[in-house]
Amino acid sequence: MTSDEQLILELQQGSDAAFTELFLRYRERVYGFFRRRMNDAAQAEELAQETFLAVLRAAQRYEPRATFRAYLFGIAFNILAAYRRKSVLYPTQSDGVPHEVSDPSETNPENAIWVRQAVGRLEAADREVLLLREFEELSYEEIAEMLRAPVNTVRSRLFRARMALREILATTPGNLGGRK
Amino acid sequence: MTSSTHPFEREEVMAYLDGELSANRAVSIAAHLRECAECAALAEQMRDVSVQLSNWSVEPAPAGLTKNLEAARAEHPVAKVRTPQRFTDRLGGKFPFLRNRWVWGIASAAALVILLLGVRLQTVQREPRHSEGLELAYTEQSNSASAPESKAVEAFGQPMARPAPLALPAARGASPKSTSTSADGQSTPEPRAPMIARTASVSLTVKDFATLEASVKAIAQRHNGYIASLSSASPQDAARTLTATLRIPSAQLEATIAELKQLGRVEQESQSGEEVTKEFTDRAARMKNARATEETLLDVLRNHTGQVKDILATEQEIARVRGDIEQMEADQRSLQTRVDFATVELSVQEEYKASLQGAPTATATRLHNAAVDGYRAAVDSVIGVGVWALQALPTILLWVVALFAPARWIWKRLRRTAVPHS
Repeated sequence: MTSDEQLILELQQGSDAAFTELFLRYRERVYGFFRRRMNDAAQAEELAQETFLAVLRAAQRYEPRATFRAYLFGIAFNILAAYRRKSVLYPTQSDGVPHEVSDPSETNPENAIWVRQAVGRLEAADREVLLLREFEELSYEEIAEMLRAPVNTVRSRLFRARMALREILATTPGNLGGRK
Repeated sequence: MTSSTHPFEREEVMAYLDGELSANRAVSIAAHLRECAECAALAEQMRDVSVQLSNWSVEPAPAGLTKNLEAARAEHPVAKVRTPQRFTDRLGGKFPFLRNRWVWGIASAAALVILLLGVRLQTVQREPRHSEGLELAYTEQSNSASAPESKAVEAFGQPMARPAPLALPAARGASPKSTSTSADGQSTPEPRAPMIARTASVSLTVKDFATLEASVKAIAQRHNGYIASLSSASPQDAARTLTATLRIPSAQLEATIAELKQLGRVEQESQSGEEVTKEFTDRAARMKNARATEETLLDVLRNHTGQVKDILATEQEIARVRGDIEQMEADQRSLQTRVDFATVELSVQEEYKASLQGAPTATATRLHNAAVDGYRAAVDSVIGVGVWALQALPTILLWVVALFAPARWIWKRLRRTAVPHS
């Protein structure tokens, strides 16, 4: 199987198939990236689309020193930051951790609600590090580079976020699973 | 958990679970976790959190995402993806160190320092020039002190045409020089004492303006001098003024100024002297040589028995030398006059008392004048803004160019640091 990095290099050479393959690999994860950070599904879809278009436009700027995943979520993060800046000027209700059940297909919907709410109660900086680690699966170093913070700070935030989340989930009465 | 009871920080246990530790460290922690129940419990809690988080799944990406992206891709085909690279990227291709923002920041700072040093150097260099300018101005001022005299002489022609010719012999007798007589009877003065062309300036304010002119004339006559120029003005609703240039024998200058000062209150008084001995002596020597040349040529002409064209050439040469001599004599007389006769610039102002005499200006005229003034002020302001823009814009542009890169860098940095906390 061709690696992500190989595909983006092929995209730089003008390969249309390489982009399609990358899109298929990361479509859900990029959508999930935005969806976990905002209430508005349509807005998340739009920003995900914008992210892939940005990859398409800026493929030439990709340098092999970074993993494609870090590169992709770096773009997504910048797009989200730009969107949030815009939201400050023109506030909408779409930003923030989702608080409504929107997916009936979830395997354990009740648990998902509690987790979502618990994450929503974390400090914004800690929450971002936690999400980038747990869902985007970025390394400490990649997160540090994206947030422009020292690696030790990232590690401390992540630890604080996990401990806080554990506390919140432990004291949540409706938490049906997970406690051991 | 502390390092005294556990060889690892709690964060390191988490990092171990995340696969963020080096192999050696990971092996050590794995061993410790097998032995330490507390750390094993912490690791379990961490795993538990991750497991619980994994419950948070989101709905699949809408089909519209693929569709919309396909449509958008149609507008941006991969083949046309090669967007023009930024200037810094292009440079970075050849010189990788230029990709570093710090390089650009330091380069901008260095450019700024060089600019400031350049400005400072220019200022330092300008200062001596400025003092040179002052010296030049001073020289011009001292030269200009003698200018009215020459103008007065030019205005009145040769000394023979002066209105007080009788004063000349007396004045010459008083001047510090002797007169010798040359072979052809023309005088060639040879100064023994320094020759000084003196200039004085007196400003007065008088109460009685009516008799002023007569008084000034009387003083000039009394001291064997004359009035080179005189003008008076009597403007409406303002003080009357009189300005006069007096030529007074040098020996009488002090006495004349003393008398003039008695006419009213002295506002300003100054005296200066210009040494002209060298100029006088040089010209006298050149005149002597020219006369000798003329004599020689005249002898040649008298004893000449050659062709007509040679005679004509000699006569032309004699005419040229004669012209030079006359010119030099005129200059010498002019200089002698400046030495013999000191120049007094007199400026008198009447002590003004405002009166209510005179009809008030018509309203229409006043309105008209105000409108004209307003129009002029508007035009002046527009021109002023234009002039300012032309003067200041290059400097402003220079600073904008110099400060653009650092300002942009700071702005970007501020923005980026703000985002993660939003």
